[in-house]
Amino acid sequence: MDLTSLNNSLRLITPEIILSIFLVIVVVVDLILKSNKKVIPYLAVLGFAVTGIVVISSLDSSGFAFITASTSSKQFGMFAHDPLGGFFKLLILSVSIFIVLFTITSSEIKQIHLRSGEFYALMYGMVLGMMVLVSAVDLILIYVALELLSLSSYVLAGFTKLRDRNSEAALKYMIYGVVSSGLMLFGISIVYGLTGTTNLYLINSLLQGPQINILTLLFAVLLIMAGVGFKISAVPFHFWTPDVYEGAPITITAYLSVASKAAGFALLIRVIQIGFVSFVGSDGFWNLIPVFDWKALLVLLSVLTMTLGNLSALWQNNLKRMLAYSSIAHAGYLILALATLSTQGVVAVLIYFIFYALMNLGAFYIVMIIADRTGSEDIDDYDGLGYTSSFLGVSLIILLVSLVGLPPTAGFIGKLYLFIAVLDAEMYVVAVIAVLNTVVSLYYYLRVLKHMYLTKASDSTQSVRASGGEKIILLLLVVPTLLFGIYFQPIVDFTKSCITVLGV
Amino acid sequence: MLTEFGKIFVFILLAVAFVGIAIFAAKLIRPHRPTQEKLTTYECGENPEGTPWVQFNIRFYVVALIFLIFDVEVVLLFPWALTYQDYGLYGFLAGIIFLVVLGIGMAYEWQKGDLEWARPKPNIPYLSNLIKKNTDQTSENIIVEQTETNQTT
Amino acid sequence: MLQVGLEHFLFVSAILFSLGIYGIVTRKNAVMVLMGVELVLNAANINFVAFSKFGNFGINGQVIALFVIVLAAAEAAIALAIVLNVYKTFVNINVDEINKLRD
Repeated sequence: MDLTSLNNSLRLITPEIILSIFLVIVVVVDLILKSNKKVIPYLAVLGFAVTGIVVISSLDSSGFAFITASTSSKQFGMFAHDPLGGFFKLLILSVSIFIVLFTITSSEIKQIHLRSGEFYALMYGMVLGMMVLVSAVDLILIYVALELLSLSSYVLAGFTKLRDRNSEAALKYMIYGVVSSGLMLFGISIVYGLTGTTNLYLINSLLQGPQINILTLLFAVLLIMAGVGFKISAVPFHFWTPDVYEGAPITITAYLSVASKAAGFALLIRVIQIGFVSFVGSDGFWNLIPVFDWKALLVLLSVLTMTLGNLSALWQNNLKRMLAYSSIAHAGYLILALATLSTQGVVAVLIYFIFYALMNLGAFYIVMIIADRTGSEDIDDYDGLGYTSSFLGVSLIILLVSLVGLPPTAGFIGKLYLFIAVLDAEMYVVAVIAVLNTVVSLYYYLRVLKHMYLTKASDSTQSVRASGGEKIILLLLVVPTLLFGIYFQPIVDFTKSCITVLGV
Repeated sequence: MLTEFGKIFVFILLAVAFVGIAIFAAKLIRPHRPTQEKLTTYECGENPEGTPWVQFNIRFYVVALIFLIFDVEVVLLFPWALTYQDYGLYGFLAGIIFLVVLGIGMAYEWQKGDLEWARPKPNIPYLSNLIKKNTDQTSENIIVEQTETNQTT
Repeated sequence: MLQVGLEHFLFVSAILFSLGIYGIVTRKNAVMVLMGVELVLNAANINFVAFSKFGNFGINGQVIALFVIVLAAAEAAIALAIVLNVYKTFVNINVDEINKLRD
C-alpha cells in the first residue's frame, strides 16, 4: 500500500496527534499523582499552547489527509488541512487556554480537585473533537468528531455534581444531543444512499448531475441540519441552551457558548460551501447548486434565532441564563452573516467570532468571580456592586457595551462587518430586523448595569474583591475588547488571509 | 427454486423445528417427577422471599457500563485485522497504539477503583458488638417513638 | 420471482426510524428515550449496509456501520451513567419531572 501518502496524512494531522498525546499524558499523570493535582491544569495549558504553535507554523499550507476519493483532476481526502480550519483551531485552542485559566481560579472546580484530572482529560476530548470537526470534509468523520465533542461535553456539563441543577443540565444536554445526532446520522445515511459517498467534494460533483431525487435530498439535509443546529443552538434546536448554560459549571458554560459554537459554525460553513456551491463568483458571492435553497433556510433560522433569543433574554433574572439567551441571539446574527452566502459573509463570521469569544468569555468570567464570592448569579445580588468593586464594574460595562455592539468596542466592529456583508447582499429587510434586535438587546444588557450602578446596595450585598490573578486574566480579555474596537485592521487582515485560499 | 422470501420461510421453519424438537426430545428422555419445590422460582434451594423486582446494587450498572464500552471497542479491531498486513509495520503499530490507549483506559478504571466490588465489611459477631448493636437499636426505637408522638401532636 | 431488494431494507429501516422517533416523542422515562435513539441509530446502520450492498458503493458503508455501533455503545454508556447520576439526585428519571431549571 501507499506508505508515502500515509506519511503525508500523518504530517498534516500533527496538531491532532500532539493533542492526543497530551490527552494520554494528562490521564497518566492523573493516575500517578494521588492527591496533589495542582500541576495538571498547567500541563493542560502547555499542551494547548504547543498544539497552537504547531497550528500557527502550518497555517499557510493546505492539503488533504487520508485521500479516499479522487476525480479525474483532483484527489480529495477525509480531512482538509487549510487556513479556514487553522483559523478555527487557533480560536478553539486560545479559548481552551482561557477556560483552563478560569478553572484554576474557579471555586466550583476547586471543590472537585480530586477529580480534576478527569476534567482536563474530558476537555482534551472536547478540543480534539472540535479540531477534527473544523477540518473534516467527510460526513462520517464529521459525525465521529461531533460525537467525540458531544460525549465529552455531556459529562462536563454535569461534572461537579455539587447541586441538583448540574445533573439536570447534563441530562437535558444529553437527551437533546443524542436525539439530534441520531437524526443527523440518519440524514447522512440517506445522503450516502443518494450519492454513494460521504465525501463532501464528491457529493458536490454528484449533486451537479441531473439524477438526484430532490425531495429525498431535502429530507436528508434537514435531518443533518438538526445535528448542526443543535451545536450552534439555532431555533428550533435551542431548547437545551438556557437550561444547560444555567446548570453547568460556569467555566463549561463559557466554553460551550464559544468554542463548541465555533466548531458548529465551521461545520456549517464547510457543509454549505463544499457540498452545495457550484462556483464562487468574482464578486465573492456563492452560486448554489439548485437542489436546496440554503439562503431561505438560513434567513429563516437567523430571524427566528435572534428574535427569540433577544426577547427571552428580556425577563431573565439569572445572569447565566440571560447570557445563554444572549448567546442564542448572537448565533442568530452569525447565521445571518452566513446567509449572505458570500465570502464577505464568512469573513464577517470569523471576525465576529474573535470578538464574540473575547467579550463572552469576559462576561462569563465576571459572573463566575461574583458567583464564587456571593454564591449567586441573581441580578438582584448585583445591586450597587459597581461601587463596592469598581474594577469588576468597569470591566463589565466594557464587555456588555461590546456585546450590544456599540463603539468604541470590538463588538461594534464585528457588527459593522456583519451588517456590511448583509447590506452587500441586498438583504435590507433582514438587516432592519437585525438592527431592531440589537436595540432590544440594549435593554437587557443595560439592565445589569442599572442594577450595578443605579440601585442602592441592599444589606445582603457583599463586597467582591477580585484577586490579582483574576484581574490579570480579566485584563487579558477586556483590554483587547477595547483595543480591537479602535485598532482592528490586523484582525481583519488576518481573517481575510485565512479566507483567500478558500475555494471550491 | 425458492424465492428470497422462501429462503427466509425455510429458515423460520428450521428455527421453530429446532426449538420444538429439542423441547420434545427432552420431554421424552427426562424423568418426570413433579414436586412442589420444583415449581418455585429458582433460588439456590431456599424458599424465595419477597418480590424478584428488587433494586440491584449500583455497582452492577457501573461494571456493566465498563464492560459494554470495552466489549464494543474491540469491534474496531475487525477492519484493522483485515488490512493491517498491507501496511506492514505501520499497520501493526496502528493497532498496537489503539490497544495501548484501550489499556490505559483499563488501567485508569482499575486505579480509580471502579472495578473493585465495594464489599460491606464482614460483621463478625463479637459479644461487645452485639451489645452495642442492641443498645443502638433501642435508642433508635426511642427516637422513632418520639418523632411519632411529635407528628401526632 | 420475488427478490429481497433494497426497498425491503429501506422499509425496515424506515419502520425502525419511525418507531424510534415515536418512542423519543412519547416516552417520559429517560431510558426509554435512549432506547428510541438506539432504534434511530440502528435504522441508519441498516441504511448504510443496504446501500453499500445494493448500490455497489464498495465496502465503505459496512465499515461506517461498525463505527456507528461503537459510537452508539459509547453514547449509551455515557447516557446511562448520566441517568444513574440523575436518579441518585432526583430519585426519578422522568424527563418531564426533572425541571428545576426553567423560566
